[in-house]
Amino acid sequence: MSEAAPSDLPLADLVVLDVSSFIAAPAAAVALADYGADVIKIEPPGEGDPHRHNWKNAGYPQSDRNFPWQLDGRLKRSIALDLKNAEARPVLERLVRRADVMIVNFPPPARERLRLRYDDMQALNDRLVYCSLTGYGESGPDRDRPGFDITAYFGRSGILDAARYEGGPPGLSLPAQGDRATAMTLVASILMGLRQRDRTGKGCWVGTSLYANGAWSNGTSVAGALLGAKLPSRQAPDRPRNALTNLYRTRDDRWLQLLLVRDDRLWQPFCDAIGHPALASDPRFATRDDRRTRPQELVEVLMPIFAARDYDDWEKALAGTGVPFGVIGRVADVVADEQAEHAGIFADTTNPEVPRTINNPIRLGFAKPRPAGPPPEVGEHSEEILRELAYDEAEIAALRAAGALG
Amino acid sequence: MNESALPLAGLRVLDISSFIAAPAAAVVLADWGADVVKVEGPEGDPNRRIMHDSSNYPKAEVNYPWHLDSRNKRSVVLDLKAPDGRAALDRLIAASDVLICNFPPPVRDKLKLDYDSAKAVNPRLIYASLTGYGESGPDRDRPGFDVTAYFARSGMLEAQRYEGGPPGVPVPAQGDRATAMSLVSAILMAVIHRDRTGEGAWVGTSLLGNGLWSCGVVAQAALVGAYLPHRPPPERPRSALGNIYRTSDDRWLQLTIVREDKMWPGVCAALERPDLAQDARFATTADRRRHSTELATVLREAFAVRPYEHWLAALAGNGITFGVISRPQDVPDDAQAVACGAVVDTAIPEMPRTLANPIKLGFASPRIAGPAPALGEHSDAVLTEAGLTAAEIAALRKTGAVR
Repeated sequence: MSEAAPSDLPLADLVVLDVSSFIAAPAAAVALADYGADVIKIEPPGEGDPHRHNWKNAGYPQSDRNFPWQLDGRLKRSIALDLKNAEARPVLERLVRRADVMIVNFPPPARERLRLRYDDMQALNDRLVYCSLTGYGESGPDRDRPGFDITAYFGRSGILDAARYEGGPPGLSLPAQGDRATAMTLVASILMGLRQRDRTGKGCWVGTSLYANGAWSNGTSVAGALLGAKLPSRQAPDRPRNALTNLYRTRDDRWLQLLLVRDDRLWQPFCDAIGHPALASDPRFATRDDRRTRPQELVEVLMPIFAARDYDDWEKALAGTGVPFGVIGRVADVVADEQAEHAGIFADTTNPEVPRTINNPIRLGFAKPRPAGPPPEVGEHSEEILRELAYDEAEIAALRAAGALG
Repeated sequence: MNESALPLAGLRVLDISSFIAAPAAAVVLADWGADVVKVEGPEGDPNRRIMHDSSNYPKAEVNYPWHLDSRNKRSVVLDLKAPDGRAALDRLIAASDVLICNFPPPVRDKLKLDYDSAKAVNPRLIYASLTGYGESGPDRDRPGFDVTAYFARSGMLEAQRYEGGPPGVPVPAQGDRATAMSLVSAILMAVIHRDRTGEGAWVGTSLLGNGLWSCGVVAQAALVGAYLPHRPPPERPRSALGNIYRTSDDRWLQLTIVREDKMWPGVCAALERPDLAQDARFATTADRRRHSTELATVLREAFAVRPYEHWLAALAGNGITFGVISRPQDVPDDAQAVACGAVVDTAIPEMPRTLANPIKLGFASPRIAGPAPALGEHSDAVLTEAGLTAAEIAALRKTGAVR
């Protein structure tokens, strides 16, 4: 595939206003920027999007580089505009008049207070595709409640409760895991809105909520629950239903997923491969039925065997024996995974601080995502953008003096 | 809202895929008006049987996973290994806008269903393929599943564990359904591209790519050499007031107290343990952090004696912030799940409610779900629309290429 010129990118010529903060909505704007859109991030002067400071969050991996901001700020231009300042309003309105898409994630009361509702914006630009993200939807008892990944996507949707071993604590999610999945839904809704505009000439409102995305992702369990069906409990690895399709901890605290389904054929080769050929003649486990009816006895035999050697040893010992097992990868391995390169998952940047980043998962035969440089400083492009809006030096200076522009 | 006003009305989609991620993307297109034809082999999509075949699925009388992943589709049965069945597919490809497949590349090659072959039949075709691990590289031919490709290979399961505990357990199809939304986005980019240029295109995504995008914070950190330590288990939290506790009815509460000094007396009041407020070990935030395991033990024992509903009221009554950990069975009756459009009515008598796709549009409502098709229910209708004569269809039925 040849490198596409920027103008060939599918979203070239699209002007997107990213008036959002944190992760899900800004990540959707990143995916649009990756494919050619001119994304203007409107941030409060001074601190900017609070996500700029998230890398110091105790729940984040600790680094001396602002890696999350590279990921969610890339390819955007920043204008620092104080939307609470009356002087800033005409600037916002001029931006809206020439935009194709606007992305917001203020809860509805803040949108109302800032006069940033769909109706307010449509009155300025009836071709605008206005996209809003909420925690819990645009109406209903919790519509005004700020929603976060962990509470709205994972907690409320039933994922954390369901993603656990019997008797154990709820499952864990990773930082922004649901936010980033939700970003892809926002992208899809915006593209539907753009297609609608291409067909009708009229803009529209589109959106999604973290809660609806969590419920969608948990759709199998929730669809079952709609009929009163409950998710079967997952046995902890030390109390499996079947000891031969179970997780085992290795000496170096990694885990191996044993997938010995054909133990009718593979029992002896398995016992050989794990270095305990005599186990094959243990009368307690002689037949498939024996092994199925004594999972507890068998797991107590196997746990110390697997715990005696490191993961890499086990990988070598099992490879080529026909004993199937699944890899539980570590993030540390993935960044060096040749397959991830082939899948186009990582991309180089021109930012020496953060030289590699993660592509959005959309692959197109006719265009490649744009390479990213460093993400913008707060207000880095304020003047440039205002000049594009035909503001002159004196007007820009006046906005700065009023504190409307940072 | 009449159906012709839906944004994807008029779009003809061939869903030649199986299981969940790719078929779920086709469902979303159908929800928004596309005419989706599901092409199945004589045995049918194995997702028709997954509720019984998988020990991890909730069991019901109604085949709800099949309804969920096939609503508003039509089914045609073609044996693609039979030359006349494969030739019939070309007639469908010639009359379609989008083709979705999730065969691994070698199967696509064997069936002559790779992008170049399909493009030769219909240059305006948008060809969307889903793989486990990408379209090239050492593992491109490896079948990929939600658990193996999205969750295990990406490092997510390993990262989602408590210190010393086993890897995380995802819920069924959790990553598949998230991935479906990327596939929808990829297809829509190509639709816009075709509207503008007249050209068809290949688009696609991989489960591994979506897993890593979803855990992008952790993956991006790894790219600069930073890693997240495993979370301490609830018995030994870093902060006992930012921890989870089990209630007497085996549910869990997530305390999310950020302004500790202000809220600590309220916690003691909610627990009906005024003595704790006087306990010198827990007097200040620093004291509570220093004695977090002791405090967690005290709180664990206290929360364990009353049910979840009691604690919701007691904590709220004392102004204590906490996160709700719902069970899947709580979602259907959650008014907000209906308000945000996640839970919707269907036209399926045996399954009156289902889950909407998460896209919301101001100018259109998604189609109401009808029953998922029986295997081959629309074979004749679909082939007739593609221009096959009754005699041709009869001949195909005779050889078993169409059923």
